[in-house]
Amino acid sequence: METKSEYTIGLTGNPNVGKSTLFNTLTGARQHVGNWPGKTVEKKEGELIFKEKKIRIVDLPGAYSLTAYTEEETVTSDFILNEHPDVIIQVIDAQNLARNLYMTIQLIELGAPLIIALNMVRKSQIKIASINAKILSQLLDIPVIVIDAREKKSTDNLLGMFLVKKRKINDSMLKLAYGTEVDEELNQIKKFISSKEDLSRKELNWISLKLLEGDYRTEQMIIKKPYYFELKQAVETNKNHLKKIYNQDINTIMANIRYGFIKGLQKELVVEDSSSKTIDLTEKIDNIVMNRFLGIPLFLIIILFIFQATFKLSKPMMDWIKNCFGSLGGYLTSSLMNLGVSKWTISLIVDGIIGGVGGVLVFVPIIGILFLFIVLLEDSGYMARVAYIMDKLMHKIGLHGKAFIPLILGFGCNVPGIMATRTLETKKDRLLTILINPFMSCGARLPVYVLFTGAFFSAYQGWIIFSLYILGITIAILLGLIFKKFLIKELSSPFVIELPPYHIPSLNGILIHIWERVWLFISRAGTLILAFSIIVWVLASFPLGVEYGSRASIAGLIGQKISYVFKPLGFGNWQSSVALMFGFFAKEVIVGTFGTLYGVADANTTNNSLITSLGKDFTPLSAYSFMVFVLLYIPCMAVLAVVKRETNSWKWPLFMIFYTSIVAWLVAFIVFQGGRLIGFI
Amino acid sequence: MKNLTEFNKGDTIKIRCISCGQNFRRRLSELGLFDGAEIEVIKNDKWGPIIVKIFESKIALGRGEAQKIYGNKI
Repeated sequence: METKSEYTIGLTGNPNVGKSTLFNTLTGARQHVGNWPGKTVEKKEGELIFKEKKIRIVDLPGAYSLTAYTEEETVTSDFILNEHPDVIIQVIDAQNLARNLYMTIQLIELGAPLIIALNMVRKSQIKIASINAKILSQLLDIPVIVIDAREKKSTDNLLGMFLVKKRKINDSMLKLAYGTEVDEELNQIKKFISSKEDLSRKELNWISLKLLEGDYRTEQMIIKKPYYFELKQAVETNKNHLKKIYNQDINTIMANIRYGFIKGLQKELVVEDSSSKTIDLTEKIDNIVMNRFLGIPLFLIIILFIFQATFKLSKPMMDWIKNCFGSLGGYLTSSLMNLGVSKWTISLIVDGIIGGVGGVLVFVPIIGILFLFIVLLEDSGYMARVAYIMDKLMHKIGLHGKAFIPLILGFGCNVPGIMATRTLETKKDRLLTILINPFMSCGARLPVYVLFTGAFFSAYQGWIIFSLYILGITIAILLGLIFKKFLIKELSSPFVIELPPYHIPSLNGILIHIWERVWLFISRAGTLILAFSIIVWVLASFPLGVEYGSRASIAGLIGQKISYVFKPLGFGNWQSSVALMFGFFAKEVIVGTFGTLYGVADANTTNNSLITSLGKDFTPLSAYSFMVFVLLYIPCMAVLAVVKRETNSWKWPLFMIFYTSIVAWLVAFIVFQGGRLIGFI
Repeated sequence: MKNLTEFNKGDTIKIRCISCGQNFRRRLSELGLFDGAEIEVIKNDKWGPIIVKIFESKIALGRGEAQKIYGNKI
């Protein structure tokens, strides 16, 4: 029986402080990724058992501050105020105390039950860090502990501290002085609210402060109250009053006060020895990878290397999986025949199910390895540099460098790519990045390239595939320009991104990340793909009595009906039409469909006979044209569904179907007809 | 008073005025870049974003944004 967790712990902190590492060390693989109810922010949860107590860990989104200006940013304060966690652990980068403490102060203002975990302490600084932890703990009146988020031992210490102190973790008794002027205005707001509402002192303090700061969440809380208008006006008067005195807006005033307080804290702390090797190394690497001339070429070389390595490394594993499914099919065929099962059923199982699923699982190694590299780039800190390097170029298409990351993720899968546009601040930026994301060739399209380049361009496989990726990027840039000119005219949001020091990512974190992605792929392969393999099989086997996958089958008939559209592109054969049709549901099934339609799912002959069959219907040029079409045409259902969710309207996914179809047809047409003119076949 | 793009690598600057929208201004202040803060220019090529050091972290700022931030060299 599932028992409820006895304790709930929330993890919070600035980006790049090792919060995810701590979460991974704490929960291991027992994680669950979902969405915050009603929001588009990812929610990560995990469970663990410590000293026979079941503890739920919630990973709150990384943020620099608690003040919410958008709905998404309310997640952390919502969680603290509504779900009453037993403790909030704030992970702090010990090397960057000042900025991290800014959020600590806000957490204290909120009255969160807080423990501070000082992370990223250099080996040579452990002694100083422990002294500072003690001083901080006294000054702030909250528990502070030095940890190494990668080590189980130190997370055990952290949990131990929580269990010992859990009853004592209350609000810090710390009183922040905001200065007479601000305090005066705060008191006025407090007085107003307490005349209308019966609130605890803590709540009253927090609400008044947040109203003064223009916090979204608090604003939403009072918007329905009868006194909203009156209060709002009063607060505006307060703000204006302060503005006159300080000649600064309220956010600057509050920042100055909080940072002033932090400065005071820092005077009490032991100063770290500032000579450090890691910073020097980061400096050295940055001088090269962010060099104005070397930056972009280096990045391209890295990407090219990644694609080459992905193919070289995954090939043996793919062959192995292929052989396994081949022998499984052969074994099943013979044993089912012995049992007297009808030919029809055997065909369904072997051709339809095993052929379909096997054809998909074969690509797990490729996706796993590709993501290994992407995670390495991300976790090491290089991805932020890529945003910097690309900012100038991205600016030209009306986006900033940060938008490059969702686009890069699109190479794995457009679904997380599109979801990652959430890191962009304005709607316009997000929309533009979403609209060009499908042209980033996702992992599911890769099998098609692998199959076709293997059949027609085996000597230059890596280069041909690389050229497709580059083509996708080029088209994305061109369309970005067009969209910006005619559709989204506004300027993009400001570009601000932190460049964290480089570090070697933890193996644990990488494995968990890869597993998440691979599992996403497999679970889709298991359900959607299986279903479609059977549908393809049915369409290829009916009406009863026709030869499997022949022109007379339903699939053949549909394919022949629509194939004339693709004739000018060089692949007027009906099998391609059918494969493309099914590719709309999921790109993964294109290869499987070819397999089924050419009737080559049976044992021992898997790929070679498929290649032979393809050789009859395609020339190298039409094969390239086909790959171009697959690269550019309508993204899969899942992408369209995500676009619908992220844009909150059917308009954009429908528009996406429209422009991707046109672009794909046109470009494939140019490639094929142009190629013929130059003399390719 | 000059805007950030007019400073050179190695300059330490006291921020004097940030003339941009309220939302962007508070993003900056969360990072430690507010009126009165002291920052250092780490990298300023003549094009592309500039990189500044705020407290112990390096922050890349778009060129357009950096032009809206003014300060004095210390």
